[in-house]
Amino acid sequence: MRRENAGQIRILEAFFSALVIFSAFAVSSNIPVSQNASRSSDLASIGLQALMKLDFDGSLGQYIDDRNWTGLREVLGVVLPEGTSFNLTVYNEQMVQLNSVVISNGEFGSQTVTCAQYVCVSQGSAFHSYIVRLCLAMAT
Amino acid sequence: MPAVSVDTFFACSLMVMLVLSAMAITTKLVFPSMNATSNRNLAERYKETSKYLLLNTGKPSNWGQDSQTTPETFGLAKPNADSEYDLDRDKVSRLNTENAYAVSYPDIFTSLEMSDLSFRIKIEPVFKVSTKLAGAFLSGDDTVYEFEISTDKQGAPVSAQLKIHVVAGEYLNSISVLVTNGRISQNITLPNSVSGPALLIVFAHSLYNDKIVSFDVLAFAHNSSQPNSRGALLRSSPLNYNLNVSLLDSRIVLANAYALTFSYNSTLLLTSNATMSATYAIPRFLDDSMTVLVVTGSNSTAFFTEWTTYPQIPVENGPDLANLSTLSSVFSFKYLVTIDSAIYECTILVGGPEE
Repeated sequence: MRRENAGQIRILEAFFSALVIFSAFAVSSNIPVSQNASRSSDLASIGLQALMKLDFDGSLGQYIDDRNWTGLREVLGVVLPEGTSFNLTVYNEQMVQLNSVVISNGEFGSQTVTCAQYVCVSQGSAFHSYIVRLCLAMAT
Repeated sequence: MPAVSVDTFFACSLMVMLVLSAMAITTKLVFPSMNATSNRNLAERYKETSKYLLLNTGKPSNWGQDSQTTPETFGLAKPNADSEYDLDRDKVSRLNTENAYAVSYPDIFTSLEMSDLSFRIKIEPVFKVSTKLAGAFLSGDDTVYEFEISTDKQGAPVSAQLKIHVVAGEYLNSISVLVTNGRISQNITLPNSVSGPALLIVFAHSLYNDKIVSFDVLAFAHNSSQPNSRGALLRSSPLNYNLNVSLLDSRIVLANAYALTFSYNSTLLLTSNATMSATYAIPRFLDDSMTVLVVTGSNSTAFFTEWTTYPQIPVENGPDLANLSTLSSVFSFKYLVTIDSAIYECTILVGGPEE
């Protein structure tokens, strides 16, 4: 290579480098990125809706009055969307836990857990109010 | 080639590879955060739109009941509902394209007044009942059919109370069955003096809550040829507690019509009869479950049994957003809705155009 051509080669190298870098910008902006649309607020909203639907005719209070934890677990398992893990805890007015067994359909593992809290009043002849805490996670 | 050129070539290649890798990784890591705000806003807007569909009655608020009314603004909520997400059974029925009075998607799209988004709505029971005919054998003057019935949610068994109705011509019989592990084998006996085709209607409600309902209907041959596909001879359109039956063949003669729910059954009263159509009054049952409406008759050569449900569920309306390449962002929202106190699952997909 002759000494007087060295400058031209450097210019060509710089030109190709710039071309490659700008191509990389163009290509990388089109790399698909998966976006997770499910959010914890949506899950909490679904959980709250489920509790409200069950409470509308007094069923929720009835399960708690009767200490029917199996029924509560089965019903939640049916109404919540598939792939949802849940854990429900029932407290009385003094925040003493009432459910003697775990009301859940499985372990949460390391998933992001979101909780909804709902105050339920029994529609039975005796007045009872309960605080229901429903924790939810979407299976990954 | 001189050694310095080889060095330069490798150095440049390495640099280019590093830059490319860095950009790919940066894009992967930073792009979601860069778009998070706009996506959050978009998701929030779509969510509010989906809620609007379910919480708003539309205009006029009773557009579902009048077959001639197309809504000025769209909404599925029941007027004067006692709770949120309580839907009107007629509005839901008019989403079903099997109904002669169904509102078309373009009409819904126009009445929604949001030209930059599309949606697809699906309403179905929260769990599934599946019925399969496993076998049949003669037993004296009867034929015994063995059915396998399962109740599940995405494969997970659901404990349920079943009510099974069998209809064949003028024959109607009902039995109650308990399913504790999501699967049962049930024998049904039909007298050979009865001519089919027969219809097995299975209603189910959760063992722990009778508002959680589902159903399945299976047509099968009994002293008859194989049943016609559904809707081949009649178009059944329930609306405002009336069942309008349009005959698709002039040789059809209608015989009996029944309304069946989990707890009740009744013969339908014919209120009007024309050459190619008939109208029956649907009773208002004190029952949480949907009503299955059965019409029997003959088409000069053979008997038939047609059915529909009121409200017409499951229902799905709107374009298939998953296959629309013009949409960039499609969000799915799930809701629990009630129709006359029975709980159903509603999924709304909302999508917008590519920006």
